[in-house]
Amino acid sequence: MQTTPTEQTLVIDHLRFERNNITLLDQIHSTVNAGELLQVRGANGCGKSTLLRLLAGYLEPHDGAIFWQNKSITEQRECYQQNIHYVGHRNGIKSTLTVAENLKLQCALSNIRFEPTNAQAVLKKMGLQHITDKHAAHLSAGQLRRLALARLALTPNKIWILDEPTTALDTEGQTVLNELLTQHLTHGGIAIVATHQDLDKSHPTKMLHLGAANA
Amino acid sequence: MLKSLLTITHQEIVMTLRQAYSWITPLLFFVIVVCLFPLALGPDENTLNKVAPGIIWVGALLAIVMSIGNIFRSDAEEGHLDLLLLSAHPLTLLVLCKLISHWITHCLPLIVISPLLGILLHLNIHEESVLVISLLLGTPVFVLLGAIGSALVVGIRSHGLLLPILIMPLYIPVLIFGTGSMIAASANLPLASDFAMMGALVLISLAFAPLLTSAALRIGANQ
Repeated sequence: MQTTPTEQTLVIDHLRFERNNITLLDQIHSTVNAGELLQVRGANGCGKSTLLRLLAGYLEPHDGAIFWQNKSITEQRECYQQNIHYVGHRNGIKSTLTVAENLKLQCALSNIRFEPTNAQAVLKKMGLQHITDKHAAHLSAGQLRRLALARLALTPNKIWILDEPTTALDTEGQTVLNELLTQHLTHGGIAIVATHQDLDKSHPTKMLHLGAANA
Repeated sequence: MLKSLLTITHQEIVMTLRQAYSWITPLLFFVIVVCLFPLALGPDENTLNKVAPGIIWVGALLAIVMSIGNIFRSDAEEGHLDLLLLSAHPLTLLVLCKLISHWITHCLPLIVISPLLGILLHLNIHEESVLVISLLLGTPVFVLLGAIGSALVVGIRSHGLLLPILIMPLYIPVLIFGTGSMIAASANLPLASDFAMMGALVLISLAFAPLLTSAALRIGANQ
């Protein structure tokens, strides 16, 4: 809270969210500055994924607001969402396309020119270079997760929202993820990560424990 | 921007063609439904010619209703819909890309094969050509309106017959003008008014359906 909020600060202001008339999230309050990582922790079912979906603009809070560039995200949803990379429980990979085609589709969605050499470099970084032309339907859970995380390296977005990104990843994959995060944060990006695992200590990390207030 | 949208449309078509059953089954369904009628009604030329417009149009309508329900399903299941919402392009345009590719892969084959089925129902050349033109004008409306319903039920796990109940009443105007044009053709009456009405329906649904569909998809993500 000491650092002065800038244009690039994501402010979570007294968020409250109900599901089926039960208050799931209440009085969630935090700020994430450029170059910071917000790690969301909490027991299963305490609303981590819901908070992340709220931050990605998929859900609307019942009370409170989320501010980006000093403006509530509900007022600028489509603009705001273009800044986001969201990797959720479902990877968003089209199983009928090959690994390379999935990246190509991602570039098209981000309105960025698809450079085969760049895509190859990204796949190499993610350890997928040997299965470029394999259909995504035939990939393992860990490979699918790596391919989903390849999006992060492929197109530059300011805010990364990662929901349990380490699921199904091996230790090598987790190292790559930590490298990606380091690179993103040093370039002034924001990352919001829900995970039970300890991430690399070198990241400037803020913690948000959910469920503590309700307990 | 246009290039990215073309890429997205192209990828959509590639995906459908790779899952051959998704476009071949509605096509075969259409062929079988239409073929059942001559068997059930007997080979009398006058009877078949009289009921032909209704049979072909209802067959095409049912085949499209069958396929349109799946247009957003795999996207929702695989989490791809979440990515579409975060895209740099307006969701409405992405929806339009998907609908265009759906029309190319699911409706164009129906239209191509319909003259063949017309022979079965004793349509003459003039009636055949009117059939093709009216289907070209009518099927886009089926797809556009169907997409709205499909987006509304995307969050419901097993929607079964809910989608047909929702969207089939909206298909009535197209059905009336579509079959109307064919009846007019067989009576050698002018066709301009029917075609003009169908063209108007295409334009109206083209203006509103993608907007409504993308709004429905955003609501669908909101749960």
